[in-house]
Amino acid sequence: MSRAAETNGSVRGTKGRPRNSDGAAPSLTKILNLVRTGQATTRQEIERTSELGRAIVTDRLTTLTALDLVDESELGVATGGRAPRLVRFNANAGLVLVATLDQTALGVALSDLSGKLLTEHHEALDLNAPAEDTMSRLESLFEWILEKSARTQKVWGIGISVPAPVQTPSGGLLSTSPPILPAWDGTAYVERLIQTFKAPVWLRSSVGTMAMGELHDGEVPPDSTMLFVKIGKRIGAGLVVDGKLYRGAQGAAGLIGQLPVASDGLTGPLELLAGSDTIAQAGRSAAKEGESPYLAEILARGGEITSIDVGQAAQAGDVTAMEVMSRSGRLIGHVVAALANMLNPSHIVLSGSVAQTNDILLAAVREVVYGESHPLVTRDLRITASRLGSSAGLIGGAAVVVDALFATEFLRSWITKGSPLGAPKFEKVIEVTRAALAHPEADTPDIPSPPRKTDLRSKGNDA
Amino acid sequence: MTSASDKTVSGLGPHGERAAAPSRITLLDHDIAAARESGFSVAIVIHTLHSDWSQQSMAGIVKTLDQCGATVSEVVNCEFDADAQIAALDRLSGEPVDAVVSIPVGNAAVAEAHRRVAKAGKRLILLDNVPTGMLPGRDYTSLVSADNFGLGLIGAELLSPHVPENRQVGILTYGVDFFATNEREIAFARWIKANRPDLTVHTRRFASLETTGQTTESLIEEFPELGGLFVVWDIPAMEAIRALDCRGVYVPVTTVDLGREVAIDLAGEGRTVGIAAQQPHAQGVAAVKTAILSLLGLPVPGWTALPGVPVTASNIVESYQAVWSTDAPAEVLKLKGGSS
Repeated sequence: MSRAAETNGSVRGTKGRPRNSDGAAPSLTKILNLVRTGQATTRQEIERTSELGRAIVTDRLTTLTALDLVDESELGVATGGRAPRLVRFNANAGLVLVATLDQTALGVALSDLSGKLLTEHHEALDLNAPAEDTMSRLESLFEWILEKSARTQKVWGIGISVPAPVQTPSGGLLSTSPPILPAWDGTAYVERLIQTFKAPVWLRSSVGTMAMGELHDGEVPPDSTMLFVKIGKRIGAGLVVDGKLYRGAQGAAGLIGQLPVASDGLTGPLELLAGSDTIAQAGRSAAKEGESPYLAEILARGGEITSIDVGQAAQAGDVTAMEVMSRSGRLIGHVVAALANMLNPSHIVLSGSVAQTNDILLAAVREVVYGESHPLVTRDLRITASRLGSSAGLIGGAAVVVDALFATEFLRSWITKGSPLGAPKFEKVIEVTRAALAHPEADTPDIPSPPRKTDLRSKGNDA
Repeated sequence: MTSASDKTVSGLGPHGERAAAPSRITLLDHDIAAARESGFSVAIVIHTLHSDWSQQSMAGIVKTLDQCGATVSEVVNCEFDADAQIAALDRLSGEPVDAVVSIPVGNAAVAEAHRRVAKAGKRLILLDNVPTGMLPGRDYTSLVSADNFGLGLIGAELLSPHVPENRQVGILTYGVDFFATNEREIAFARWIKANRPDLTVHTRRFASLETTGQTTESLIEEFPELGGLFVVWDIPAMEAIRALDCRGVYVPVTTVDLGREVAIDLAGEGRTVGIAAQQPHAQGVAAVKTAILSLLGLPVPGWTALPGVPVTASNIVESYQAVWSTDAPAEVLKLKGGSS
């Protein structure tokens, strides 16, 4: 939009009061995002970066201050004249709830609007348990974390990561529950969260949110192209291009665990031949057959041998365990090398407890990737292990929500109201999900079921 | 129902880690010899020295450092004060200590000061608490803690038989955002919800030890028929018991930490009906072993956890001996008829 058009579109009103015209939304959006992302920290920088006139910037900052979205109370460092007022984003204007659902654990966190975690908690949980039990636990923990924080701000968004590809509508807000796991079919988990916490919900795959977490709080620069590989019982990848998560046409990008590999005359999916179950099994065999003194000792003490034990044995110099880890690393390395040649990432990050506690696996992946990739691909490539643990999924989940809340199109729809909870799209979602929960299907008595998509469409749902 | 008394670790670490057992942190003879040759210097920054837990933990730390030929350069008692802890950590960051063993007294308030210790090149071993956002390997070396989630489960399991059906149950917990007490509180409520759905849990938070009695009184005023109370550690538990005494109200209480005073109350069959005991001496030993191994350049787990010990009036003498490595107090022995 040109500067003239912006001027004409601005709202006439008393200075210092919030403006409610949609005409101001584009410039308000632009300025808020410049401030929020740290690209501009003073009025002069905002004018220069946004190419908006001084009067418009002054007017819009007055509006954003009145909406409690920015703060200008601090002074910066003077460079010859008067010290400039710093323009800061108010990351405490709202709260974000985040949860990671894993096969064996549940993590929850509360974050501010910068995506910084304020409190987090993880506990063991069997995701094969009835969906009602997991939902009830998730709601209890969300309620606990809000109560414990003693903050009075409203929840602006909820981010959930699940151990499966997630098909979500492009654009618009979720108002139905996409299929994630067989045990959750017919469970209106999205509708229930929206109604309980009165906030929009964003859903992503675990590996996708972990990749985002690595980008936000790990050691990878924010505008990188990163291949993130999670190694556990399942092996999956997340791809971040220029700082944005690539999800694929159906949200299923990165299912590399299913790629066939060959090892010792066997051919099978990567996760079957190199995943943590195989590592643990190889460790148990080595312990029983006396090939690994370290693991045999664990077994003799009555302990159960896990993949982490094998990793620790390898780290301590146990030759058999080192070979087990190295073999897995080489198999993963072949697949990662093919991806690296295709995608030319600047960073490859290995995650999962096996990868994070073991240098042998990392070294084997590095060896194969460097050996099998084009020299240009590996020239500046960095291959590292994540240090974030399961926190990566929570940090990434918060980042997904924050990015969605402040995405230009959505932000424009709510900025003049001061909160995404006032966005027309979200008001519609509240209405639709309330109706859906009020009329559950008869065959799912425990948790209300989502309405059929055709029903929602007939009600004009965005999703 | 899963028994909380099977001496396994129930909780996950601050970043969702699975716990490493203390047996994984073993100092071999040549490790001790190498440590003695290096003459490491270690500083301790602790939340208080006025609890039995602290004293036993310190005893474990000092004994193990001595075995490794390391010196205790300083012991800082923060008395739960975040500013005092920050000042101490900043000073230690500039001093020639090799490692710092610290129990962070808060969350965000003390996070940066702890990060500065690690950035200064010291090995930082945290006890019981990790401020949100701090990561092992980057911001600290290792966390050594009790299985706090397991302690909360034990607290609930021991209280349950003493609470009649369909009653209210209270949790008195710390108002500060603290990993260890958060875990106990969450676990207690989870166990009750799963195993005693007839009970309703009400949580009340005390900002400091001084206000515990007052918080207890308002809870009792609100719920005169309170069927049971879980307090997240022993010192506030005794404050709560004194408040209950003053009102002449009988409410069964469980808590965490086998302190002397609460042990006597349990043995005398007072209001305390069960204690989820930590192993502070063993925890102190594990913290030092972790620091020494890391200083010797060996890999250490991000989180080592010690399981809790369920203590009742019937096993208090043996439990006291096991947890403290010393005889139970004379009062306890007398109350238990001299059995030992």
